[in-house]
Amino acid sequence: MGKKTVLELMINGDTFEIACAPNMTLLEALRDKALLTGTKRGCDTGGCGACTVIMDGEAVLACLTLAVEAEGCDIRTIEGLALDGKLSPLQEAFVEHGAIQCGFCSPGFIMSATALLAEVPSPGREEIRRHLAGNLCRCTGYVKIIGAVESVAVKDRGGEK
Amino acid sequence: MKVLNVVGRRIPMYDAAAKAMGQAQFTDDLERPGMLHGRFVRSTIAHGRILQVDVSRALVLPGVKGVITGRDIPDRVYGIVPKGKDEHALARDKVRYIGDAVAAVVAVDVETAEEAVRLVKVEYEELPAVFDPLDAIQEGAPIVHDNVPNNISASIRKEWGDVEKAFAKSDYVFEDSFFSQAVNHAPIEPHAALAQYDPQNGDLTIWSSTQIPYFLKRNLATTLLIPENKVRVIKPKVGGGFGGKIDMFSKDFCACWFARELLRPVKFVYEREEVFQNTRQRHPMYITVKTGVAKDGKILAQQIKAHADGGAYNSTAPLMITLSCFFIMIPYRIENLLYEGYHVYTNKPTGGAMRGHGIPQARFAIERQLDMIAGRIGVDAAEMRVRNAIQPGEPHPAGFIINTCGFADSVKEAAKAIGWTEKRGKLPFGRGVGIAGASFPSGVANMAHLSSGSVVQLTREGRVNVLSGAADIGQGAETVICQIVAEQLGVPMEDVRITAADTGICPLDAGTFGSGVTVRAGNAALLAANDVRGQLFQFVAERLEANIDDLVAADRRIWVNGSPDRGMSLNDALHAYQYADNPLPIVGRGSWIPPTEQPTSLLTKNGNFSPSYSFMTQAAEVEVDIETGKVRVIKMVTAHDCGQPINPMLVEGQLEGSIMGGMGQALYEDSTCIDGQQYNPSFLDYGFPTAMEMPEMESVHIDTDDPLGPFGAKEAGEGTQLAPAPAIVNAIADAIGLEFHRLPVTPAMILEGLRKKQGKAEGTDSST
Amino acid sequence: MHLPIFTHRQPADFAGVVSALTEGSGAKVLAGGTDLLVNMKHRIEMPETLVSLKKVADIRGISLEGDATVIGAATTLKEIRQNSELERKFPALVQAAMSVGSYRHQAMGTLGGNLCQNTRCRFFNQSWQWRQVRSLCYKVGGEDCHVIGRKHTCFSTYSGDVAPALLVLDASLRITGPDGPREAPLSTLYSGEGRTPVTLGRGEFVTAVVIPGAAARGKSRYEKFSLRGSIDFPIVGAAVWRGDGSVRAAYTGVDRAPVRASELEAELAGQELTDASLKRGANLAHKAAKIAPTSVHPVSFKRELMGVLFVKAMRDIS
Ligand SMILES: Cc1cc2nc3c(=O)[nH]c(=O)nc-3n(C[C@H](O)[C@H](O)[C@H](O)COP(=O)(O)OP(=O)(O)OC[C@H]3O[C@@H](n4cnc5c(N)ncnc54)[C@H](O)[C@@H]3O)c2cc1C
Ligand code: FES
Ligand code: FES
Repeated sequence: MGKKTVLELMINGDTFEIACAPNMTLLEALRDKALLTGTKRGCDTGGCGACTVIMDGEAVLACLTLAVEAEGCDIRTIEGLALDGKLSPLQEAFVEHGAIQCGFCSPGFIMSATALLAEVPSPGREEIRRHLAGNLCRCTGYVKIIGAVESVAVKDRGGEK
Repeated sequence: MKVLNVVGRRIPMYDAAAKAMGQAQFTDDLERPGMLHGRFVRSTIAHGRILQVDVSRALVLPGVKGVITGRDIPDRVYGIVPKGKDEHALARDKVRYIGDAVAAVVAVDVETAEEAVRLVKVEYEELPAVFDPLDAIQEGAPIVHDNVPNNISASIRKEWGDVEKAFAKSDYVFEDSFFSQAVNHAPIEPHAALAQYDPQNGDLTIWSSTQIPYFLKRNLATTLLIPENKVRVIKPKVGGGFGGKIDMFSKDFCACWFARELLRPVKFVYEREEVFQNTRQRHPMYITVKTGVAKDGKILAQQIKAHADGGAYNSTAPLMITLSCFFIMIPYRIENLLYEGYHVYTNKPTGGAMRGHGIPQARFAIERQLDMIAGRIGVDAAEMRVRNAIQPGEPHPAGFIINTCGFADSVKEAAKAIGWTEKRGKLPFGRGVGIAGASFPSGVANMAHLSSGSVVQLTREGRVNVLSGAADIGQGAETVICQIVAEQLGVPMEDVRITAADTGICPLDAGTFGSGVTVRAGNAALLAANDVRGQLFQFVAERLEANIDDLVAADRRIWVNGSPDRGMSLNDALHAYQYADNPLPIVGRGSWIPPTEQPTSLLTKNGNFSPSYSFMTQAAEVEVDIETGKVRVIKMVTAHDCGQPINPMLVEGQLEGSIMGGMGQALYEDSTCIDGQQYNPSFLDYGFPTAMEMPEMESVHIDTDDPLGPFGAKEAGEGTQLAPAPAIVNAIADAIGLEFHRLPVTPAMILEGLRKKQGKAEGTDSST
Repeated sequence: MHLPIFTHRQPADFAGVVSALTEGSGAKVLAGGTDLLVNMKHRIEMPETLVSLKKVADIRGISLEGDATVIGAATTLKEIRQNSELERKFPALVQAAMSVGSYRHQAMGTLGGNLCQNTRCRFFNQSWQWRQVRSLCYKVGGEDCHVIGRKHTCFSTYSGDVAPALLVLDASLRITGPDGPREAPLSTLYSGEGRTPVTLGRGEFVTAVVIPGAAARGKSRYEKFSLRGSIDFPIVGAAVWRGDGSVRAAYTGVDRAPVRASELEAELAGQELTDASLKRGANLAHKAAKIAPTSVHPVSFKRELMGVLFVKAMRDIS
């Protein structure tokens, strides 16, 4: 009952073997076992979005996901976005727009927005807002965050035409 | 005017990319071999004596490495304000609020520590508790701290001019009462600390999410009885502070204690619930304002009585109540003022510094009353603010020296941007505009020793290393300091590295509070950079046979102003400097303290409070759904005099963030208690605004150039948090004709108000 | 905040779910986990076994059976939100789904989990530490109700967004258990009792929701009132449906179960819908619920909102 097992988690393309009991959340597995601390813990109860990661293409809350349920999924964390040290366009936009102040919420926002743009390459402002409204930021008033996402979205739209 | 290359530019924070990649490390991201994890046992009663703490069952739980109570550690109190020290790391004899830390547990992992907490049994003798400051000051009320029999732990009474006489001369005198609620800082990063002890040399190192590394160091030394030079505080990245980390907490002391006792690294991270309940909050405050005005709306006198609900401990009490008092004297000319303020203990969570620190509560009351008075005497509310605006250079009753002040302009500009003349009083029922003004110090001058130091090194390779004590908590202090240094040395930002807020190697700094960082630490860095510049430029001037004062530097080059050909690259200069056998790196030092006659006169004397003052007016347009009572903020304008911004993008960021904070205070947030217990200690129940709530924002820069600030800069970030809430509530009054005196204004209050108004209207209809 | 210890099962089919649910004494279905895991962290629910729906076949997806629409219980709220057919036929359902929590919760949260979510109360939805201040409340095994100060009763409030929408659409549930499958009207899922708000028997779970074709022949709307435009549970939520001369209205956030407003519906049956008649209906709305102060929002305010939201919703489909 509740025994420890060894899980194989696919995180950012790498396989991690993690010994854990069923009551370990994906957030704990990422931060405490895989030492991928870019994913943040703001509340641990689903209220802030700081722990957002992408699982099989969906932006989900790692604090309310069991690690065992993540087995076999493609898990992407903030550490997996930059390629060879080069920021993703969205990360770049967050930096350039001043969308990052203390930065504690930023990984969660960037993961949420990454999932959005993968699904809807050119969302409107209202859609961006709705999509990001599960992520809390206490520093920025959200203005520059939305602006940053919009700038990447608009670029994509330009590219499509 | 001087051309600037780095200062004044919209430059991203130097560490933004690391944060965007998840590489920036916050305290909880740090991991040490053999690290243990701690948790607290917390009081389940609001007030009582601790009879017995039984830790035996917790101690035998496998994985538990230690359990301590207040009796196991030195009987020493700590506090951020020296004369207000009243708090033990763990409660010793008494618990004073629900959540007071009674015991601390460390174990091999958090799970085990949590389990151990459940096994500790505490026996109390429960005492009557008091939850409201107005009850707490009554004769016979429960006494929260035995040495403060009336529960008033800090108070201030100050009179300037002659208030009675001025009231007598006034055409009208109005008295109104207001209440401002408890608000939590709610930084997304929970408070955390990690301590490590080196038994070889007795060095104790603590990584803490703090805004005040040097205060923490001193308090750790005095409470744990360790020499101060053995304590090193390092601030990793801090995930937002807003004042909530301008203090020390059980986690800091207990992490250090256990690290020393167990010779293993120990980490404590607060649960979200603990951030709400056991750190600090904006003081709830009852404020009565009596104002005498002339027919034209000129303010002749004000009398103010304030009772702040301090909760169980002092934290910043004396400072908070003083700030609340002095800052009534600005941005309006108030020649006659009588202020009486009390910080009152209650058996509730503790109040502390929070963005604006004692001033937002007062501003809410005053800005609300100004609007009400304007309506009562038939003067335009914006016009009334302009008429009373303080002007630069004019003598100030409390001795403030106001070198630059764009307040009157800020009122006019904000009014223009919100469409005041077309909209005020003229929009359809349910829609309205409101305005409110404020001012804030750029750091407090006359309050103990508040200097900042800086060391700048220029290496042979042209790399610049800055050491600063300033605590960047996400506002970008380190970036701003780097910009200042880069500008002075004529190098791009990418050549500058900074190490800050590590008390082991950085120069002294007061910490991040009172909005003093840019001016204080920025000036220190400027002086240090100038020191380096002087040493190198003297050498270069000789080589170029030029006057040192004629040299300019940019883009890694130094040349004679006006003759770009007479110069050399920084690299050549350093090469020559090296071959002339001058010591490298070139090291410059700087220290800056705000000019003040007497360093500690704050509570006793008039005098200049701060090197400079920022001014701002904020205007709101709101829409009230008159069926549900829900308020939507449509637009917020900020007209802002913060001197010359060093980085306009960061200033904007501060401003936008504070508008969210102000909206929260006005409409959403309330850290309310049931019988002394905070009922909503979660993000879900506390409910600060999301991206869905944010209005359109516009900012207007009011141009001033401060003589004391680095490159003419003044504070930005705290001041803008003062006016949004009253501006919004004033706009609600314009929209639906209801004057609210309490925060937050909830839909239920609005519906009830509308209902009453309707009833009254019907009532008068039938009687006439 | 750590989860308590439990055993995790991941069956592949309905039979597997039923047998896993009946294994021990305290097994629960785990769907998206966005309600259950928070409660477990707070130690207000401590099931011995969690039976995951993740790998269960035939429990996710939206399909047509005749003119009825069948939605698998493990279908996510996001899938519902993004389904244009549902949006056309049952706007109230889609509006309700997209008002749940934030987009994160909608991507994780399922229809079954939303319907079966636990009731809420300010004394109940709190951490273990927080709850030590008072005696154990009735809902977690104690005696007292701290909301109304009585023993052996619980007024915790049902606050799911989707149930009222499905109630006005006359939806029913497909339930499977030890005795095989059965179908039951959605309203029978709720006991009306705070302590055990859901009536499912031991080993039973919801496999699908069925919306009758007739529901598409009316207009529907869900109107949610909460302070923030995201994340917040409804303070009050109202769903309405009108078609063939009748009006249906249902509420969440007001009682121990989602409720149909039968007095209101009776008042308006066969009536012409005018401002005056809607107002009359609105005035009867509160009769459907026994509102208790389980949140900070005053009871009188919630009562008033019931009428207001009804009128708003009706205006939108007139
Ligand atoms: C911050 C936050 C905000 C939220 N806001 C809202 C909101 O605004 N509105 C709202 O309605 N909800 C809200 N929720 C609650 C929750 O996210 C949603 O209700 C969600 O739809 C629950 O679905 P789930 O699949 O995650 O359920 P789970 O947590 O997996 O399950 C919930 C309950 O239902 C049972 N269950 C699940 N599926 C079945 C089944 N097929 N058969 C039988 N029993 C089953 C489980 O055993 C459990 O008891 C919020 C939650 C959080 C953390
Ligand atoms: S930490 Fe997961 S939502 Fe806050
Ligand atoms: S940047 Fe600090 S919380 Fe978002």
